[in-house]
Amino acid sequence: MADHGTLTGPEGRRKSPGFARAPRARVFKEIVASLAKAANVRGGLLVTPDGLVIIAELPPRFQVEAVAALGATLGRELELGSARLGRGAFRMAVFAADGGTLFVCGSRPGFLILVGDRNVDVTSVRMALGRALDRLD
Amino acid sequence: MHWGALLERTWPRQRSTPAVLFRRADRCCSQGRYDEAAVFVAQGLRQAPDSSVGHLISAYLHVAGRRMDRAKGEFERVLAIDPFHPRALLGLARISIEDQDLATAKTFLDRALQYYSDFPEAQALREMLADWPRMKADGSEAPARALLGAPSQPAREYDVVAMRTDGRLVLLGMDEDRGRQLAQHLMQVYRTASATLSRADLGSLRSAAIDVGSCMVFLLKDADLLFSATLDGPVEVGAGSAHIGRLRNALGIRS
Repeated sequence: MADHGTLTGPEGRRKSPGFARAPRARVFKEIVASLAKAANVRGGLLVTPDGLVIIAELPPRFQVEAVAALGATLGRELELGSARLGRGAFRMAVFAADGGTLFVCGSRPGFLILVGDRNVDVTSVRMALGRALDRLD
Repeated sequence: MHWGALLERTWPRQRSTPAVLFRRADRCCSQGRYDEAAVFVAQGLRQAPDSSVGHLISAYLHVAGRRMDRAKGEFERVLAIDPFHPRALLGLARISIEDQDLATAKTFLDRALQYYSDFPEAQALREMLADWPRMKADGSEAPARALLGAPSQPAREYDVVAMRTDGRLVLLGMDEDRGRQLAQHLMQVYRTASATLSRADLGSLRSAAIDVGSCMVFLLKDADLLFSATLDGPVEVGAGSAHIGRLRNALGIRS
């Protein structure tokens, strides 16, 4: 059997810090890092449409893989729902909760997910995400 | 220059075993370089057509391109080689969730967790599905109230839906077929968003705004009531939510 590389176990395809990064990977990292530094934003991650983490910049003990899997499922439902209902292409969604705010953005490489406080400036984060989406696509 | 030719020049031929090609493809996938990954995986599968790794990466590439039927076929090929491959089972579970076939999704996730109990993605999806009752969309529940607008005064908001968090419809502001389709979508969004917020330690959903370019969909949650309406054009999130809240109150819909 061919070498399974990092793909065989359930932990496969997580972000590996070992390999040389191509410019595109650097762009992803820059985008997530700059968004994660915005005021009242706790962190963010970029996940593939199947929920695998490309880049994550999140506080310690954050459930990265679980949020990636659920966030990608949510992103896909938002994409599919827009298409099925004859609306435009899904761009981004903001979810306000008792303990914070979640942003989910659709792009060709995957879903950009940001986690913020309750008092995050939604308008400025949406603008920053719009610029980030232009770079991602 | 075509990707294939370019990559053939870039990588020395003697290093291009299937394992090496799949590792390159995997690395490209991890960096969102799907076109390059597709070239590597195609080269690898030509040399090793029964490689579960190759078919798994191929499935990921189809998911990345949102070609879910083809992704499903590739995940199934992986399972034909390795019936308990956790990533293939997870991939098929996710496709089943998209198809709203929750029973099949649970079966795939249970199989994955049977052999890999420490699999956070599968655990998260399985827990999300555990308390999802199948939404009644067959008309067997009490009929939803229709929203009647004044024809001479087109409403600024449209696609108005009110429902309970268990899926029971309260009010539909459109024809019944579209209304039920919209309600099913909103319920799936509500449940998935709730699970994501919970895992991110953010607590319970209060409101949502979904930007689809030409319009914005707003969703408000109050106790067991979900109320949604759509507004045209770019709308500031706070102003849109406040507008939808006033509409809900004006319609006399209570939690």
